[in-house]
Amino acid sequence: MNWLNDPVVQSSAAPFLAALIVGGAMLPVRLAGLAALAGFLTTVYLVGNFTFSPLTATRKIVVLGIAAALIGVVAGLAFRPTRSTGWVLGALFGLSSVWVFWSVLAQRPLLEAFLYGAGIAALVVWLVALTVSLHADPLRAGAAGLALGFGSGVGAVLGASALIGQYGLALGSACGAFLLLAMILGKRAAAGTVLTLTASVLGALLGAAAMMLAKLPWTSLVALASIPLLVRLPIGARTPGWVQGVVASIYALVGAGAACALAWHASRSPIA
Amino acid sequence: MKRIVVGALFAALPLVAAAQAESYALDPYHTFPHFALDYAGYATLYGRFDRTSGQFTLDRAAKKATLELTVDTASVTTGDNERGGRARTRDEHLRTADFFNTAEFPRMTYKSTKVVFRGEEPAEIEGQLTLLGVTRPLTLSVDRWLCKDHPFYKKPGCGGNASGVLKRSEFGMKYAIPVLGDEVRITIMFLGMKQ
Repeated sequence: MNWLNDPVVQSSAAPFLAALIVGGAMLPVRLAGLAALAGFLTTVYLVGNFTFSPLTATRKIVVLGIAAALIGVVAGLAFRPTRSTGWVLGALFGLSSVWVFWSVLAQRPLLEAFLYGAGIAALVVWLVALTVSLHADPLRAGAAGLALGFGSGVGAVLGASALIGQYGLALGSACGAFLLLAMILGKRAAAGTVLTLTASVLGALLGAAAMMLAKLPWTSLVALASIPLLVRLPIGARTPGWVQGVVASIYALVGAGAACALAWHASRSPIA
Repeated sequence: MKRIVVGALFAALPLVAAAQAESYALDPYHTFPHFALDYAGYATLYGRFDRTSGQFTLDRAAKKATLELTVDTASVTTGDNERGGRARTRDEHLRTADFFNTAEFPRMTYKSTKVVFRGEEPAEIEGQLTLLGVTRPLTLSVDRWLCKDHPFYKKPGCGGNASGVLKRSEFGMKYAIPVLGDEVRITIMFLGMKQ
C-alpha cells in the first residue's frame, strides 16, 4: 500500500488511528493511556528502520519509550501515584538519558559532554515529574502530550531531521487521539502514569535527540519545558469537556509554538 | 664461524621481508572519496568527503597489499551549503541522523581483507566498510594505478582511482529511498606517499 509510505500518513493519520483504537479498547481496564505508545510504535513500524543492532541513540529512545509505558502501567496498577512519584520516575529516566546519548557525549570534550548530559537529564527529570503529576487530569495530560510531540516533532524537522520529526509528530498525533477520547468521555479516559510517563519521556528525549543529532537549538528545549506548566493555567472547570480540552491544548501549544519559533529563528542565522 | 653466518642470515630475514613491503601514507590533499546516487529519477547527485586519512602497504614481489581508510563523515559535501531562504541546507541534513548521523558516527572506515593483483599492479580490493556502526563487505576495483617519483614532493608515490558500489540501506541509511537512490557508487581518488 503506497499511501502507507507517505511520511505524512506515517506520522499523523496512522498513529492517530492506532492510538484511537488502542485507547478505546483499553478504556474498560483504565489503560487508555497506552494510546501514546500504540501510536508511536505504529510510526516506528511504518518508517521501517528499526533494528536493535546497532543500538543508536534514536533506537534507544524507542526502547525507553516502551519501558516508560510498561513502568507506567505497573506504577498505575500497583499503587496510587503520590507527589514524589513523578520525581522518582524523572530521576530514573534522567539517568537513562545519559545512556541514550552516551555514544554522542563520549566524543565531545569533557566539559561540553557534562553540560549537555546534565542539561538533558535535568530536562527529562523536569518534564517527567511535572507531566506525571497530571496523571489524574486526562484533558491536561493529553494536551501536554500533544504539545510535547508536536513541539519536538516540528522542531526536529526545522532542525533538519525528518526521522526524529516523524517520531515526534507521531507522539503528538497519538496523544491528540487520547485527548479526543478524553474530550468526549471525560475522566472515563484515564491518562494515568502510562500516558503521562510515555509522553514526557519520549517528548523530552526526542527534543534532546533533535539537538544532539541535528540542529535544534537548546533554547527550544527550554520552551518545551514550559508545556507542563502552561497546561496548568485555568481552563474553566464548568465548561464542557471539549472546550476545556481545546483551551488546555491552546495553552500547551503556546510552548510548542515557542519551541518551533526558536528553531526557525536559529535556522535563519548563518551556518557556524 | 659458519653457525654465526647462518644465524645472522636467519636474523636478517624478517628485515628483508619488511623491506619488500613498502608503506605509504595517504595524502589528505589528494585523497577524496566521492559518491553518486540517483536523485528522483531525474539526475545523478554527486557528493564527496573533504577529509580522509589512511595508509596502504605494497609488496610487489609477493603481490600483497593492505589498505586502511578513515573518512570524517562530517566533511560530507554535495555543494549545497548556503541556506538561502531555507531552514537547512542539504549538507546539514546529510549530517543528521537521517543520513550519516555524524554526531554519533563521526568516522567511516574501510579495511582491506584481500588485494587481487593483475601483473604487478593491484586490480581489486576486497574489504569491510564500517558505516553507521554496521560492517559490510565492499569490493573496490582499481581503475587507475601508477607508482613513480612525485614531481613536487620529490619522493616515491602511488596513486590512482578505485570504485565500488554499495546499497546504503544495508547500513541502515534508509531515509528517502527510493526518491534518493539506494544504490551508491563510490569513487575514490587517492595518492599515497612512501614512508
